[in-house]
Amino acid sequence: MTNLLQAVFLPIVLSPLIYYIGRRSGKAAGWLSFAVMVYSTLMLLIVTLPGATYIEQYSWNPIGIFGLKADGLSIPFALTIYLLCTALTIYSIPYMSHRIEEQTEHLSSEAREQTFKSKLGLYYMLYLLYASGMLGTVLATNLIQFYIFFELMLIPSFILIAEFGYGDRGRISFMYFLWTHVGALILLAGILTIGLTTGQFNIEAIRESSMPEGIRVWVAAAVTIGLAVKLAAFGLHIWLPYAHAEAPTPISALLSPAMIGIGGYALIRILIFILPSSYHTIALAVAIWGLITMIYGGLMAFAQDDIKRLLAYSSVSQMGYIIFGIASAASMGVSGAVFHFVTHGTGKAILFMTAGTIILQAHGIRSISKMGGLGSKLPLTTTAAMIGFLAIMGVPPTNGFQSEWMIFSGSLATATKIGAPIYYAIAVTALASTALTAGYALWTVKRIFFGSLPEELKDVKEASPTVTIPLLFLATVTLILGILPSYVTDWIIPLVSSILPG
Amino acid sequence: MTYEAAQLTFETLTPWLVWFIPMLGAILTPLIAKAGDKARNYFAVAVSLLSALLAASMLPAALGGNVIHHQVEWIPALKITAGVLADPIAVLMANIVAWISFLIMVYSIGYMKDETSLTRYWFFMNFFIGNMQLIVLSDNFLQLFFGWEGVGLCSYGLIGFWNRDEEKHWVGTPGHTVWGVPQAYSPTHAGMKAFITTRIGDISFLIGLLILYSVAGTFDFIHLAENKQWASSLAAMGLLIPVGVLIFGGAIGKSAQFPLHEWLPDAMAGPTAVSALIHAATMVKAGVFLMARAGPIFYSAGSGLGVTGFFEAIAWIGAFTAFLAATQAMVAKEVKKVLAYSTVSQIGYMMLGMGVAGLVADFATGYVAGFFHLTSHAIFKAAMFMGAGALIHATETKYMNEMGGLRKSMRITYISMLLAAAGLAGVPLFSGFWSKDAILGATLSVNTPSAVPLTILASATVFITAFYSFRMIGMIFHGEPSHHLEKLEEHGHHIHEAPRVMWLPYAILAVATVAIGLTGPFFEGALHSIAGSSLEKVFELHVEEEGFKLNFVALGISIAGLGVGAFPAYRYYIARTADPSSLVSGGFLAALYRFLENRWYINALYYKVFVYPSVTIGRGLFKVFETGVIDRLSGAAASSSIAVSSVGNWIDVNIIDWFANGTAAAGTVMSRTARRIQSGVTEQYVFIFVIGIIIVILAVLALGSEMN
Repeated sequence: MTNLLQAVFLPIVLSPLIYYIGRRSGKAAGWLSFAVMVYSTLMLLIVTLPGATYIEQYSWNPIGIFGLKADGLSIPFALTIYLLCTALTIYSIPYMSHRIEEQTEHLSSEAREQTFKSKLGLYYMLYLLYASGMLGTVLATNLIQFYIFFELMLIPSFILIAEFGYGDRGRISFMYFLWTHVGALILLAGILTIGLTTGQFNIEAIRESSMPEGIRVWVAAAVTIGLAVKLAAFGLHIWLPYAHAEAPTPISALLSPAMIGIGGYALIRILIFILPSSYHTIALAVAIWGLITMIYGGLMAFAQDDIKRLLAYSSVSQMGYIIFGIASAASMGVSGAVFHFVTHGTGKAILFMTAGTIILQAHGIRSISKMGGLGSKLPLTTTAAMIGFLAIMGVPPTNGFQSEWMIFSGSLATATKIGAPIYYAIAVTALASTALTAGYALWTVKRIFFGSLPEELKDVKEASPTVTIPLLFLATVTLILGILPSYVTDWIIPLVSSILPG
Repeated sequence: MTYEAAQLTFETLTPWLVWFIPMLGAILTPLIAKAGDKARNYFAVAVSLLSALLAASMLPAALGGNVIHHQVEWIPALKITAGVLADPIAVLMANIVAWISFLIMVYSIGYMKDETSLTRYWFFMNFFIGNMQLIVLSDNFLQLFFGWEGVGLCSYGLIGFWNRDEEKHWVGTPGHTVWGVPQAYSPTHAGMKAFITTRIGDISFLIGLLILYSVAGTFDFIHLAENKQWASSLAAMGLLIPVGVLIFGGAIGKSAQFPLHEWLPDAMAGPTAVSALIHAATMVKAGVFLMARAGPIFYSAGSGLGVTGFFEAIAWIGAFTAFLAATQAMVAKEVKKVLAYSTVSQIGYMMLGMGVAGLVADFATGYVAGFFHLTSHAIFKAAMFMGAGALIHATETKYMNEMGGLRKSMRITYISMLLAAAGLAGVPLFSGFWSKDAILGATLSVNTPSAVPLTILASATVFITAFYSFRMIGMIFHGEPSHHLEKLEEHGHHIHEAPRVMWLPYAILAVATVAIGLTGPFFEGALHSIAGSSLEKVFELHVEEEGFKLNFVALGISIAGLGVGAFPAYRYYIARTADPSSLVSGGFLAALYRFLENRWYINALYYKVFVYPSVTIGRGLFKVFETGVIDRLSGAAASSSIAVSSVGNWIDVNIIDWFANGTAAAGTVMSRTARRIQSGVTEQYVFIFVIGIIIVILAVLALGSEMN
């Protein structure tokens, strides 16, 4: 069986071909990329159907084993990533045509035609590489292999921002690259120490006990801080609002929920599975860090007028939820954090796609203060956006409720078990700060969709089906997982509860 | 008594359908709308009728004391099930919800006739009903919470129904400010206020619930009632009463009790049919119903563990809110605001009943009293709201002082409102008389020191209620028509009775108020046996065999209160032998009037302390800290990390070089790309980079071989 191998490598191997086709015939590259993504997603789905852990291994001397593993932890991440990538491929077709037309407006008509096509080809080539990089990261069974994919998702996304972004894209893409790369290097230092001290890079085979006691906590700290950059934890988050706001919108919709959340995946895989005792040592500190991130991101979101920056800060806050859940030291909390990746994946993708729809349909408008009353003009988009906002607010029947109650339940389970006031305090503060999310979310809905319609927006119409269908598809997934959470919980909870209490 | 998971039969399916059908109907509304507006409107009403008929079909079994309980798997990994629990009290509640909602749906056809976007309206109305029934029929807290948030969501959508925020739909007096805080709100603002305020209560609910879950390991009502170990564990941690009170916090938000009551008066910005639905049958009653579930669980599991503190808290919050809101109703100018404050106040009574249940010898005494008042209030308040809607349509104003003298031109509305107001005021032989009497009687028999102050608050509210009820009737229907009405008449707009589709629903409910009033003692007896069988069978509480008992002290208080309150209302507003405005022209009464009109300054305080600061803090932090400190640090960090990065590049190149040469090329390409990014030759570089990666991969795969 080579299903996972195909799922990861088919997009990479076909990407030059897509580039070539893009140069030749423009938009066909988009539909072909969609076909590639659908096929790869199906490959992934097939192995997950039997409901058991599935693994493919290839010998990879001298580093160890090159493996691709779909288990309870990686499946929710892998499926979310590819589901989003697939939905966003279709969404990219109208959006990127529009964006590249904007970028090539100044050229003469012949040059414009050719540049348009080759840029489109470049976009899809990078897009496929990016998708593969993300999937490879969460399926990797070897720390070196993990790191290679971790970098492989960084580089294409960096070029995508630099090439197709808005505003000061050159500087912003470089800032994005530097920040996340420094994080990755700190992570690499941790990984290498793990590998060199235990003599083992295969995740399954690493035993914390074979590491010298004195360095364990430092390794755990290095891994945590390295990944905290990716997760945009408070203090290390400054690159995120720039990058996510100025990336081309379909990429924002992948960066924001899918990619940064992979930091959460790695934190669970490395910190909890490989370094369990160090994890318990630093959990409380990380939980407080997560809590601060939640609140700080929410407060920043209140201060934004640019819709994409608002969503970006909201992502910072949502990563706080994930960090908080991971650091809960209880299986419910960690499972909730994984579930929250799924929630945030669908929810934030919907919201960035909404922002993109408004940019597409309302003459590139991004400032919320210039919007209003769009609800009646964009009924489908509004419905989807409302569902997306409800998901990040954690309101049933969206999946956000399921993931959030699990996160907080984990935190409170630890509190009742340990009984120290600090644990109650952080759990209660975290729950209370969800009101902040509700506050900025509803206020934003009100400012965008309700109230009087500005004169310039009188002629706004609903976008084409290539935009609305992916939106409504993700909105449906959000609701289904909210009502029937067992599609996710059946995977994650048994695995996590085998290593953590509560 | 233990419950085995029952087979799925028609009997066990019905409670599922009661909540599912309105939800399904809601989802289908946009599709049916394609067949035309009429089809859509009748479809929506038919859906609510179907749900009501199904609810009614459960009544015979429930009256016989039967309990229907059915569960299905939900989150197997956590052994969490979904289920319906149709015990007698839930079936009774489901019927109150279903039938009153149905009448409001019928009324909506007339009331919303000239509105657009009705697809959205019908969607939210049916979804509202479905979620309320979900609360009523759930067998566990987690599933209940779905309905709980669902009604919150629908109220948000419906209060803000007129989401273009046109001036005419605003609630409150334009220009009225308190401490600089505007007191007039747009519909979408009011909807948001409702959602966020109730959300604060819900967060409290969720904290309590999750602590309960982490100790008890279940959300299931029956498990919690059967296996009482959790209560002593919580008590040992000192958390039993806090958890109870936190869960009650949810009810405080949803039922608009102090200190989370401020959303409800402004929720009047929604269409009046929505107000009727929120106030009579659904949302605000959800909090009372939550206490009807949580109260007995805590009472039975926590007996002997000092759980009375929990019930004291409920009783005090209820009694204080009853008084607080009633005082504000005395001075309200808008007819819907009177009714809104009145709702908050009357729910305070119900909460008082639920609270004193745990403070008297027999739990059922207060429980039945609270539930009786819930029933009678649901009926007369729905009638009053629908009547108010008819008045607003006919007179084109929401202010009572712009109405007046309408008793002849709108006779049916007059009689219906009068009967309903008599129920509200507690006139003997009307429904509210008996139910309020039951609550007062239960409060008098409380065996803690709270008995006296609680009785005083409840009695004071009796008199205030009588005053504002008849003030409202007088201002609207008696005296001479106002200038506003005369002007309308001059413009050829004749005031006339509402169409039948509108008056029939509230006339029916007004008659029901009288019918319950005339049969009060029997009704209370029946309710006692219904609630009793729920308490005994589901919550394992012992209930005294006891029928109707008239408490003469309570009777004396309510009749005296009625007289003292109704007399000035009659003098000033019905007979109009004195001018009320002279009373408040100066001195203490003027100050009091301002205090009440400004909502005890609580609303303004909340805006000053919570609402404005969160935006201000956000903006301030953004300006000072985020852009001033972090962003600047980032700039510094960026320049230093270029240095780090070159080291990093070295590690990258060397480490990766260690096992594959191809990537080193990629590293170089990448760093050049960064520099050349604007120069137009990026594509070629990127292309080479990709080819490089592919070569690496192929090399890896060629070197390795499949191991399994």
